[in-house]
Amino acid sequence: MPKSSSGPAVEVEQVSFSYSRQKVLDGLSLEVPVGISFGLLGPNGAGKTTLIRLLVGLLKARAGTILTLGQRPSPRIARLIGYMPQLPSLYAELSVIQNVEFFARIYGLKDRQQRAQRVAEVIKLVDLWEHRKKSVSNLSGGMKQRASLACAIVHQPRLLFLDEPTVGLDPELRVTFWEYFTALTRQGATLVISSHTMDDAAHCDQLAFMRNGRVIALGSPDELRQATGQAKATLEDAFLHFVRRQEKQGVG
Amino acid sequence: MSASTLVIAGRIINQLIRDRRTIVLLVVVPLLIASLVGVSVPDKRILDYTAPAILAVLILFFGFLLTGISFLRERSQGTLERLMASPVSRLDIVGGYLLGFLLFAVLQTMILFFYLIYVLNINYYGDLWQIIVLQILIGIGAVCMGTFFSVLAKNEFQMVQFIPMIIVPQIFLCGLLWPVSQMPEYLQWLANVLPMTYGVEGIRALMLEGQNLLDIGKDVGVLAAYAVGLLVLAALTLRRGRS
Repeated sequence: MPKSSSGPAVEVEQVSFSYSRQKVLDGLSLEVPVGISFGLLGPNGAGKTTLIRLLVGLLKARAGTILTLGQRPSPRIARLIGYMPQLPSLYAELSVIQNVEFFARIYGLKDRQQRAQRVAEVIKLVDLWEHRKKSVSNLSGGMKQRASLACAIVHQPRLLFLDEPTVGLDPELRVTFWEYFTALTRQGATLVISSHTMDDAAHCDQLAFMRNGRVIALGSPDELRQATGQAKATLEDAFLHFVRRQEKQGVG
Repeated sequence: MSASTLVIAGRIINQLIRDRRTIVLLVVVPLLIASLVGVSVPDKRILDYTAPAILAVLILFFGFLLTGISFLRERSQGTLERLMASPVSRLDIVGGYLLGFLLFAVLQTMILFFYLIYVLNINYYGDLWQIIVLQILIGIGAVCMGTFFSVLAKNEFQMVQFIPMIIVPQIFLCGLLWPVSQMPEYLQWLANVLPMTYGVEGIRALMLEGQNLLDIGKDVGVLAAYAVGLLVLAALTLRRGRS
């Protein structure tokens, strides 16, 4: 996966979105550089999932500009993008290998031999090779998450959106997932990961703290911790620091 | 037809093949219904007249129900969202569903057809391939109808409620139970805007009168128009980038 030298992987400028009359995103702007893991951190209802759905083209912004890999979201650019939704989103009757194979073909892996090799590679990567012939309906929650990740990365996307990928995982599996994510960024992929846990936040190269549809702070975990002015501040302290600052400014 | 359409159709076929109980039910239930009609209708002439309509109605019913429920599941389990975020077009998705389910519709038609002919001894005059073509046309309409109405349902219970609303009136008014010409005028008007009326009229003309597809051009035309219209409607409901 070659690193792109021109421009950020994701550019969001003054984007707003509402469901009916409820404003979910309110003039949100951010940029994600190429080749890093970027965390969208915030409580439930902060607008993380909506932002990801906008970025993959499932929703259309009412106002503002969205560019992924320098282009507006479209089926053409979708070939270079991976998406792992919050739910495992797999075909329950099909086996693990059939699910991964299906998404490999949907994303245009045409050569049968190369596809078989790549499918085997990702199934082994997520440690499901022994279970590859099992129906997804017979897998545990953690296995389903791993199969879902395999479907999202089988076509070697340059940009990968992961919506709460570690929700419901046990601590051991959570560590394994972060090992996968680190390996992907090392290969040059850009990861945008939504989460509401500070444990995930600590693994990201850069973070956007989100609240009430806005970005209230941007920076690396260290920069955000240092901004509190406390020597031993945690990311939780940093988040609360920026929440209080937003409230003082009378926004949100 | 794009490669993605074939991939989606292949996946649907795989899903149904792995669900053996559904496969068995898809074969057995139409045969049970046909048998029930066969033994409950005492007059052989009435049975000859009713059988083609049953063939058409069952394709409508199963096509609508299977596709509607499958699409609803695709939405509720999140796989449709995943597909919509991929490079496939909405026509690929609807086209894939069409192909996948049509294969089962054709198989179902053939099994039911041979059962009606060889077990229930129904008399017929038309060509089998022409009957299958008309059945495919009815099947396309049913699959697109199921896709379209699944958008309006939020769960399987709601989808099932569309059967008495969308399918049952067509069964009552299509001429299966009594001729459309003997219905009150306002019901005839209603029957004439429903696709199944043309499906039943067409298949009766093929099977009972030995006519060919050209002879029933009007029925074929109306069914094709419905199929294309519903296909476009179904694809439109799968908009990417909803605002």
